[in-house]
Amino acid sequence: MPASFVEESRRAALEAYEREPVPTWRRSGFWTTTLRKLRLDELEPRHHDPVSALDELPDVVRSAIGSDDLAGLIVQRGASTVLSRLDPEVAAQGVILTSLERAVEEHPELVREWYMRRLSHDEGKFAAATAAFWTGGAFLHVPRGVKIERPLQVVYAIDEPGTAQYAHTLAVVGEHAECSIREYCLAPDIDGQALHSGAFELYCQAGAQVKVAHLQDWGGGEVYDISTKRVEIARDAHCSWVPIHLGGRLTKQTLDIVTAERGSDMRHTGLYFTEGDEHLDLFTTDLHEQGDTTGDTVWKGALTGTSRASYEGLIRIGRGAQNSHTYLQTHSMLLSDKAKADAIPSLIVETDNVSASHGGTVGEIDEAQVYYMMTRGISRRDAVRTLVEGYFEEVVQRLDDESLEALVRERITAKLSAAEDAVEEFSAQR
Amino acid sequence: MSLEIQNLHVRTEEREILHGVDLTVEKGETHALMGPNGSGKSTLANTIMGSPQYEVTDGKIVLNGEDLTEAAPDERARAGIFMAFQYPATIPGVSVANFLRMAVNAKREEPIKVKEFGQLLKANMDLLRIDRTFTSRYLNEGFSGGEKKRAEILQLAMLKPEIAVLDETDSGLDIDALRIVSDGVNAMRGPELGSLIITHYTRILEYVTPDFVHIMLDGRIVRQGGAELAGELEDKGYDFIREEVSAADAR
Repeated sequence: MPASFVEESRRAALEAYEREPVPTWRRSGFWTTTLRKLRLDELEPRHHDPVSALDELPDVVRSAIGSDDLAGLIVQRGASTVLSRLDPEVAAQGVILTSLERAVEEHPELVREWYMRRLSHDEGKFAAATAAFWTGGAFLHVPRGVKIERPLQVVYAIDEPGTAQYAHTLAVVGEHAECSIREYCLAPDIDGQALHSGAFELYCQAGAQVKVAHLQDWGGGEVYDISTKRVEIARDAHCSWVPIHLGGRLTKQTLDIVTAERGSDMRHTGLYFTEGDEHLDLFTTDLHEQGDTTGDTVWKGALTGTSRASYEGLIRIGRGAQNSHTYLQTHSMLLSDKAKADAIPSLIVETDNVSASHGGTVGEIDEAQVYYMMTRGISRRDAVRTLVEGYFEEVVQRLDDESLEALVRERITAKLSAAEDAVEEFSAQR
Repeated sequence: MSLEIQNLHVRTEEREILHGVDLTVEKGETHALMGPNGSGKSTLANTIMGSPQYEVTDGKIVLNGEDLTEAAPDERARAGIFMAFQYPATIPGVSVANFLRMAVNAKREEPIKVKEFGQLLKANMDLLRIDRTFTSRYLNEGFSGGEKKRAEILQLAMLKPEIAVLDETDSGLDIDALRIVSDGVNAMRGPELGSLIITHYTRILEYVTPDFVHIMLDGRIVRQGGAELAGELEDKGYDFIREEVSAADAR
């Protein structure tokens, strides 16, 4: 029997789900994110049997994690946890990595303490859906003082059209513990629609040092991703969070990072590359709840085809958060005259004696840079590719994870070469 | 083997800047092109290189008998022309070493071997007294004026062009940096390289003695001579030349 607190939460969420309409997100200007093409009632959770070896995992998962040396791995395919592994030496240190379903059974007290602490089922239809319907899921707990170097990996994979995947990851990193978390959301180029409705919550307790990377690559199919991800950083803890968006038919994500106690520090570095007719709508909040907290947010994106990308980044410094220092920068690079981007930084400061700055740009490749490279014999095509790769390099290096960096570079290069003729022509017209 | 500029007329969207320039640089020769600000020196350099900002309305740019007037900048570079920029662009995310490897490979059929590239790079960095850490920095990002110019000369040394145009490479350099850049240019001087040193001042010419000096005023080359012409200019200034030219025009 699942623990009652989860059942209660699911019941409340189901009520909210039934009450809430399918949302449309509107912003000033041209921006609207609408789900009118999503045929929600044709989608359903798909169950799969567990696998016993890595090579039985879907190709898209195997090729993304390759031969990476992981401390632990949990893979959810559709609605089912199909693989759950943790290095016995790591487990012996008290680390837990298992499906959230099992964690609720096996560690109810621990899960109860943290479950949905910073998330609510009452944040719209999809947050309610995730809270009501999640299956599988992931639970990570790194106990106080434990340091794990190799990545702890969570994968959500969709490989069948018609899939609705409700995913919930809960991660708790104890006081002065250190670890590196990866969450990948992957799909091959499926022929049809699918939904990933996700929730991610991470709590970095006092003095913890945490790296977390999100890699989203839903392929060329019609995968809709509506997710909320929230990170809380406690006293003197540090978290570096790198969300990467490399594909998805429509993505609407809320990404919040909370420096919740004195001395907490965050680094938030995002990257996106949209192509074809993809639609990406991101809203991030850098929330400072107490004083002496610091933040540093950089987002960079590039767009090809007729894709749309909107990034809105809010810095919010609450009452009592004096002496906080933070800044936020966002850049979007248009690689097609039919793509549209906006970059909207904003600031709410409810106290004094803080420093907060923000800036946003939407631009194109600088023709002076292309010319300079061409005077060195480099073709326009190679110059443009190199400049786009170079533009992302600052962000890629912040991953501080060699195999993930290589994967991201490879995917960016592949996307650029897929759009190469159009991008070259676009750059030559300027 | 030569670069020939024949009756070159060049305009921007607003106005004509070069009104018929003739200039020939043979391999093995060092030319200085001098002139005050706004005389058209940088326009000439960038037109030789094929900048899309300028339109050639008449005349030709010919390298070794091949007409390059309509060629794209990368074709000109691969044909053997190089320009050191007055204000080189910053290339974020691309290290000096990676940029140099790309540029070297752009001229080759087969990519250069890692070891060979490393040796070539080291030799040229020693020549220009460039610190080793330099090559891992992103090209021109956060570089001082002197470092940018040194990076330009390093590219010149690595790419071994037939014709090098140095656009105000001496501007903004302190005396030590000027000496290092001049030493570099002198070290590359030889029968395989023709150079056109564009400068406002005679300073660099104290270190690099030109075979020929050309003076440009208002989009035309108005005086030509040997190294002694630079000395005359140093003594008398551009106004003197300007008066001399207008007096000649009046006659």
